[in-house]
Amino acid sequence: MNLILISALWGIVMMFSGLFIANKSTAKTIAVVGALVLLAGNLFDLSGKMIIDSNFNGMLQYDKFGLLFLTVIVLALLFYFLLSGKAIQEVGNHSYEYFALMFFIMSGIGLVALFNNLLILFIGIEIVSIPLYILTGADKKNLKGNEAALKYFLMGAFSTGIMLMGIAFLYGATGSFQVDKLNLTANDNFTIFLVIGVVMIMISLAFKVSAAPFHFWTPDVYDGAPTVFTSFMASIVKAAVFIGFLNLFMNGFGTITGKWQLSIAIITALTLFIGNITAVYQQSVKRMLAYSSIAQAGFMMFAIFAVNDMSKQGLLLYAAAYCLATIGIFAVLVKMKDFTIEGFNGLAKKEPLIALVVTVCFLSLAGIPLTAGFFAKYFVLAAAIKTGTYLWLVIFAVLMAAVSVYYYFRVIQAMYFKEGNSEMAETSSGFKGLLVAVAVLIILLGVAPNLLLNWLILY
Amino acid sequence: MSITEILFWFLTAMAVGGALMMVTSKNPVYSVLWLIVVFFAISGHYILLNAQFLAVVNIIVYAGAIMVLFLFVIMLMNMNADNEPQKNIWLKIAGMIAGGCLLLVFIAAIRQTEALQIQKVNTGGQTGLIHLLGKTLFTDYVLPFEISSVLFLSAMVGAVVLGRKGD
Repeated sequence: MNLILISALWGIVMMFSGLFIANKSTAKTIAVVGALVLLAGNLFDLSGKMIIDSNFNGMLQYDKFGLLFLTVIVLALLFYFLLSGKAIQEVGNHSYEYFALMFFIMSGIGLVALFNNLLILFIGIEIVSIPLYILTGADKKNLKGNEAALKYFLMGAFSTGIMLMGIAFLYGATGSFQVDKLNLTANDNFTIFLVIGVVMIMISLAFKVSAAPFHFWTPDVYDGAPTVFTSFMASIVKAAVFIGFLNLFMNGFGTITGKWQLSIAIITALTLFIGNITAVYQQSVKRMLAYSSIAQAGFMMFAIFAVNDMSKQGLLLYAAAYCLATIGIFAVLVKMKDFTIEGFNGLAKKEPLIALVVTVCFLSLAGIPLTAGFFAKYFVLAAAIKTGTYLWLVIFAVLMAAVSVYYYFRVIQAMYFKEGNSEMAETSSGFKGLLVAVAVLIILLGVAPNLLLNWLILY
Repeated sequence: MSITEILFWFLTAMAVGGALMMVTSKNPVYSVLWLIVVFFAISGHYILLNAQFLAVVNIIVYAGAIMVLFLFVIMLMNMNADNEPQKNIWLKIAGMIAGGCLLLVFIAAIRQTEALQIQKVNTGGQTGLIHLLGKTLFTDYVLPFEISSVLFLSAMVGAVVLGRKGD
């Protein structure tokens, strides 16, 4: 509860400091302080000391997994603010409001991670979505950004409608909004109601995490939005919606896996296929990362497919690895002049340190051993194998991971083995130090994933 | 047929017919007017369910405020048949098939509602009245009620950020 409360309040603090402080660059400092306060609040949450110690008649549930997941997300937010805070200020004239909207999103993420009631899930998803529509269109002079924002808004509103309808059907079948009181059994009297409800909620959540065949908005929106906000959408928000997805399907629909597992398997396979194959043909790194984020969503879908303890660990590790790598790459991409792959030609000669960090991030996304991405992929796939069915899906995923190596390595190859003069904005030594910290964290998690996973079991 | 049943079928026909007319009308102003008919029919349903407060709010907010806004926007945009976007015939066919499939699924579900109604719906006289609604809203559902203020606040911030002139 601390995190939800503090982030909502800090959003208001950001808005008012925008009113009283004329200096634009103070925004980043206040936001970083806010992220630190959020982290402290989350740690108090973890140790059970809350400002309002109540679960509001079972509306929220403070389980260790959700709270630990929020710790990962808040840490990612801190890195994001530190690395990209300057770029956020340069998007437009409303830098304080952009940060405020991000804090509101964080409070929505807190709801999505801790919900125990379908209404809370709905409100959480909405609080996450609506500020995102605004951030997508933040660069008002960019026509592509405006188009992306409108498209995202219309399709997002439609998928929200589908989710509400699904919740209504589920309520019709069970008579409860409480996830732990759904008590679904396979031979329920109102099977069709139940199935329609589950499928509609599945569709809308798949839309929010951009899983195929509901992914059509993703490339346009990620490409059209200002690059800093693409980074935010592709990392923190995507991981956060996944935890809501997993919580609902594990706690709510875990007893009737037979009814939805095949659909999820098909969605997973399609997502992996479309994301990876289309990414191969992209020339712009930003658009390639959009498709790669679809592909990565396919891997995270395995956690939802499996719904067991291992998928919890897998999703936690995957969120950490994916957020760190994506934030690192985008922080560099924002500073590049040319977003095409040719734009990266010869970066290693000019900025050896930055090129090295970007390489580590790409290796982690591809899932090469000794990076966090390897164990993340290992855990989600192992979780799927544990279920004992649909082995073809796992084999297919491994094949697709091999495809993904191709397009990630194209950028690495451009940086190291191609002659060229890639142009990049000035970077401070603090920025470089932070990038190195990201790379070190990725390798640390890749060598010893238990550093993170032990927290699920211990303390 | 009891009077409630007659009313129910009348309102249902009104809602479905109004919705169909709204989608098929060529003139957007007629569409808006048909949408108001749909809202009134739905408000009628709320009254049948003994939810008078919801019915009144539905009329005030949707039929009143939002519809007037819609009408203003349509009049300001000055739409006519010339600048209406042309749709591909295949798109129409695909839409028909997809919508038809959804309709089939819904009909399959609605077939079961009768048994559901007997089993699940609480028919206490107080349900849906403003007293009970307020009590539930501020006890059981206080968290969603309060937290939606964050949602509206962020929407408001967005409107200001996107709508302000001069930058």
